Amino acid sequence: MTRLTTEELIERLASKAGPVRRLSSPQRRTATWLALSLPWVAAVVFIMGLRPDLATRLADPRWLVEEVAALATGLMAAMASFCASVPGRPRWEHFLPLLPLAVWLGTLGQGCVADWLQFGASGLTLRADWQCLPAIMMIGLVPAVVIAIMILRAAPITPMTTAALAALAAGGLAAAALRLFHPEDTSLMVLVWQAGTVFGLVLIAALMGRTVLRWPSAPQP
Amino acid sequence: MEDVLTVENPDARLGGLMRAAQTGDQAAYAQLLRESIPLIRRIVAPRCGYGLEPDDVVQDVLMALHAVRHTYDTNRPFTPWLAAIARHRLVDAYRKKARVVQNETAVPELPETFSSAHANAETGTLGDPALLQRAIAALPAGQRQAVELLKLRELSLKEAEVVSGMSIAALKVAVHRGVKTLRQRLVPAPSEAERLDDD
Repeated sequence: MTRLTTEELIERLASKAGPVRRLSSPQRRTATWLALSLPWVAAVVFIMGLRPDLATRLADPRWLVEEVAALATGLMAAMASFCASVPGRPRWEHFLPLLPLAVWLGTLGQGCVADWLQFGASGLTLRADWQCLPAIMMIGLVPAVVIAIMILRAAPITPMTTAALAALAAGGLAAAALRLFHPEDTSLMVLVWQAGTVFGLVLIAALMGRTVLRWPSAPQP
Repeated sequence: MEDVLTVENPDARLGGLMRAAQTGDQAAYAQLLRESIPLIRRIVAPRCGYGLEPDDVVQDVLMALHAVRHTYDTNRPFTPWLAAIARHRLVDAYRKKARVVQNETAVPELPETFSSAHANAETGTLGDPALLQRAIAALPAGQRQAVELLKLRELSLKEAEVVSGMSIAALKVAVHRGVKTLRQRLVPAPSEAERLDDD
């Protein structure tokens, strides 16, 4: 039975090997992703309308730290997902978003403690706030699609991790944007409904990673 | 080709060849693939078991490398990039193998399939491998290649597209026609009595 020998395969692959456009660095790709995502995020915030007390919030250091940490989590997660979609890069890069994520969750946790000390048990009342889920999904939709397309142009060698990081990127950006128009500042509510939604999406993305982020076919020369 | 051939460090040499290949230097690319084989083999061969053929995995790694050669960053070492692809394809090969094994059932003897005589005649005998080999060799070139890649080597359509240079649509048509021709040549038409029996 005639089989293609490795030498024949090499000759065929070499005969098809035209010039290729090299993948940009993860930093550059993160900047591209942000540039493509921001107009959509800004449009959603604009349509929903900025919260009336935004000026007061901007003067609150804890609120600012939460915002910056959520945004940094999104950016670092995007960079980590771009790193993770290139073979042979060091594994520690997967953990890039851990520090801003710890700051984000830590600030929310600290807020919960402060609310409890100030208001007692009533400060930790959990109400239903289903608005967060569709809002985060809507804001994160375009960033998620853009990052998925960009990752598919690379080589998603660890699809579950890469998909989880990509979802964290879109979710972090969406959570930061949500605070600009959704007047919900009780730390426990933010922790459960906003951060919780983001982590739910991260989990779903990780489970779907292997299906969505498949190894690319050969780019046509 | 660049003057990369004079570089002493094997990793730098391979990285240089890949840099040239990314700009469209086919000779450098062929050289890179040839020189990558021992490295790939060193990674996959000791880990191949359960019926996995190291040569098949090596070829799969070469095709994967081809598909993602634009992801190699020329400022980084080449070997970790290649090793990561090799390990990824090895795991994938095991996954494919596991899927096949999962769907196979070992039985001491083939059970009777249908009451119709000719149905059992098809499935009950192993057939003549030499006859099949001759029948495949007699197929038109395109059909033969499609059957070999998709049916015998069990490549995916995308992989077969890379190897053969045929489009996915053309491969589908060619393999369908090839199998149809083989069936016509190898499976005798049922006799009138068997057809009546079937009805």
